[in-house]
Amino acid sequence: MALLDITGVYKTYTDNNRSITVLEDISFSVEPGEFVCLVGPSGSGKSTLLRMIAGLDQATRGSILYGGRPVTEATDHIAVVFQSFALLPWLTVSGNVELGLEARGVPKQERQQRANRFIDKVGLDGFEEAYPRELSGGMKQRVGIARALTVEPELLLMDEPFSALDALTAQNLREEVLTLWRDETLPVDSVVMVTHGIEEAVLMADRILVMSARPGRIKADVPVDLPRPRNPKDEAFSRFTDRIYSLVL
Amino acid sequence: MRRTHSWAVSAVFALILTAFLYSAYRGHAIAEAASASVSVDPAVLPYYAFRSFLRMLAAYLLSLTFALVYGTAAGLSKRLERVLLPILDILQSVPILGFFPAAVYFFVTLFQGRTAGVEMASVFLIFTSQAWNMAFGVYESVTTVPRFLGEALEAYGVRGWLKYLRLYLPASIPKLVYNSVVSWANGWYFLSPAEVIGTGLLLPGLGSFASAAAQQGLLGRTMAAIGTLVAVVVAMNVFIWRPLSQWAGRFRYEFSPGGGREPESFAYELWRGSRAFNSIRRLFTRVFDRMFIALLSLGTAARRLRQGKSGRGLTALRWVANVLLLATAVYVAVVGARSLVTVFAHPLPAESARIPLGLLASSLRLTAAFLISAAWTIPAAVALGHNDRLYQLVTPVLETLAAVPATALFPVIVFFLATRPGGMNLASILLLLTGMQWYLLFNAIAGVRAIPRDLREAARSFGLHGWLYWKRVVLPAIVPSVITGSITALGGGWNALIVSEYVAYKGSVLSAFGIGYLLDRAVYESQNFQMIWLSLAAMVLVIFLLNRFFWRRLYDRAVIHFRFDE
Repeated sequence: MALLDITGVYKTYTDNNRSITVLEDISFSVEPGEFVCLVGPSGSGKSTLLRMIAGLDQATRGSILYGGRPVTEATDHIAVVFQSFALLPWLTVSGNVELGLEARGVPKQERQQRANRFIDKVGLDGFEEAYPRELSGGMKQRVGIARALTVEPELLLMDEPFSALDALTAQNLREEVLTLWRDETLPVDSVVMVTHGIEEAVLMADRILVMSARPGRIKADVPVDLPRPRNPKDEAFSRFTDRIYSLVL
Repeated sequence: MRRTHSWAVSAVFALILTAFLYSAYRGHAIAEAASASVSVDPAVLPYYAFRSFLRMLAAYLLSLTFALVYGTAAGLSKRLERVLLPILDILQSVPILGFFPAAVYFFVTLFQGRTAGVEMASVFLIFTSQAWNMAFGVYESVTTVPRFLGEALEAYGVRGWLKYLRLYLPASIPKLVYNSVVSWANGWYFLSPAEVIGTGLLLPGLGSFASAAAQQGLLGRTMAAIGTLVAVVVAMNVFIWRPLSQWAGRFRYEFSPGGGREPESFAYELWRGSRAFNSIRRLFTRVFDRMFIALLSLGTAARRLRQGKSGRGLTALRWVANVLLLATAVYVAVVGARSLVTVFAHPLPAESARIPLGLLASSLRLTAAFLISAAWTIPAAVALGHNDRLYQLVTPVLETLAAVPATALFPVIVFFLATRPGGMNLASILLLLTGMQWYLLFNAIAGVRAIPRDLREAARSFGLHGWLYWKRVVLPAIVPSVITGSITALGGGWNALIVSEYVAYKGSVLSAFGIGYLLDRAVYESQNFQMIWLSLAAMVLVIFLLNRFFWRRLYDRAVIHFRFDE
């Protein structure tokens, strides 16, 4: 059974007498172990779709099933990483990373232990007592990733996680995310990542879903059969990227 | 909220104020000549409403001009800022009653006791309850214009008056409109004291009507006056302030995409569609354009003059003007210092020993009112901030309620509570509440709505609900706004003490002991200058010190710890 099943999803906003359809007839599924990227121009509703999968928003029509059950609200099995990091400025790195566990009523001692494991995994060992304002952009996103991993989700949702970072930091983080995804000791099975960087998608994804401009529709569902680890300088890589570009435009 | 401060300037200005107070005290006897009675016939209510409205309008236009000139000057010139801001700080801390003697002496003797003088005094008093926060609003707007905008304009040769018209004036509009609403509410709040100046001066208006009716125990007529006042306030809110706020929205440069919208005003469309309004507007625009072009050429001419040979003459002239201004300030300050000596030269009145106790009593009352306000406004703000539909529905109602001056209702509250034991105390706290809670509420709501959407979604996605959500997300996020709201609320509270601790009713005076009571007694009964000065000084000092050394510090620390850095 597919981990995530999306069928005939529409999203329409009604405002006074005007209605705007941002998503039209979205259908796809995500299998356990897949890394799926959603690419498309701005306004194609990618982020809205991600939020609906996370249970933060409801579809106007259609169904979103996770593990066979409809997604109605935020669940323990799905965690989100945000483009703007979304860290609470008044909590330390530990405080932020422990947030999901705190919400579940996990006692302080255990929370700290579990959180520290992931703070180490993302390379922020020693920064547990730092505040977000003392961290660089890349470090902040690492905190965001650690926070998501700490709740040990099966599905990781990422909304343009590297857009707010400079090129070098983004590159480092991409590699790290791939490593974490492939890490057997972590329960993260599948990843759905929204991005408008096509190279990024080709570098990371098993499958690329190309979306159209508003109203967002799935234009193409392209499996990326390039062997890992992928090298952006490869000819095959460039050709693949060109192919995706032509699909987007 | 960056404020520069200068003890020297504050001290000099305090002395200048003292000088005014002293000379006013010496001249108050002249003021008896003007009209001494006001009709309580309900038939005059519409006319009285009109007179009150005119007074408020005159005061508002003065405040607007003052705010634009003062705020822009302080915002654009570092030198002026050092002098102007401390002065504004003090002015804001002085309760309106403190300006009575100055108003009375200055304007009434100027017009030799004629009604015009009294009207001007009244307008001036209303002005002092409106102008300061508007000036602050303009100052804040001008100083927070992003630097790159100013630089871009300079790069295209846009300077001087044109830069002001295209950049600083539009930037000031949102805060101006918001503060105008607050100022008018403040003005209505202090309408009664402004129309019943001292012991014998009465001006025809809603405030004096309500006051006179209350004094004679005519409850029904008092209610009628209150009702008329409420009607005027609501009408202004619907037809002027809401459309104006909607119009002012286009001058903001932060965009919240998809975030909550401000409630729309149907009256806005009415104005836009009205032909009369549009033709007047077009006429104004044409006249203004011509005037502005003339101003521009004046400005270029002045600049050329300054750079040319006569430039030296102009600089010399500026020098002379500065020296003259400084000399006047010093002279007045010396007069003030000398009058201060008289305050302490004679033996102090026995009552002045009760001032510390009065301060304590009032502080306790204020604290009680503050805690009650916080207890309901913060949960209400959280509820309204999170639910967009509720916000659209309820906010207009709240804004109207906030604009209705509770001082008008005070005679009624007093009538019901005065006879009970501890009744005046309760009535006084109730009145304080009404002068404080709205500031807290609206600031808290703004704080909740300013929580970034991403943060709220992150919290939800990780399962934060109920109390944990409040503890980890909402409450910390609104700390800076609540502090700002508290500062303004307490400021309003101190001012409200004047009308809430001393009430004339049915020929006698009902009171609750406190610093407001002491001050009112000194102004209305004993007219003892020492007592007036000491109570005022005590109040201003306490407010000033609290603001500077407690609230300001708290706010600065809070901003570092709780701010969202995007």
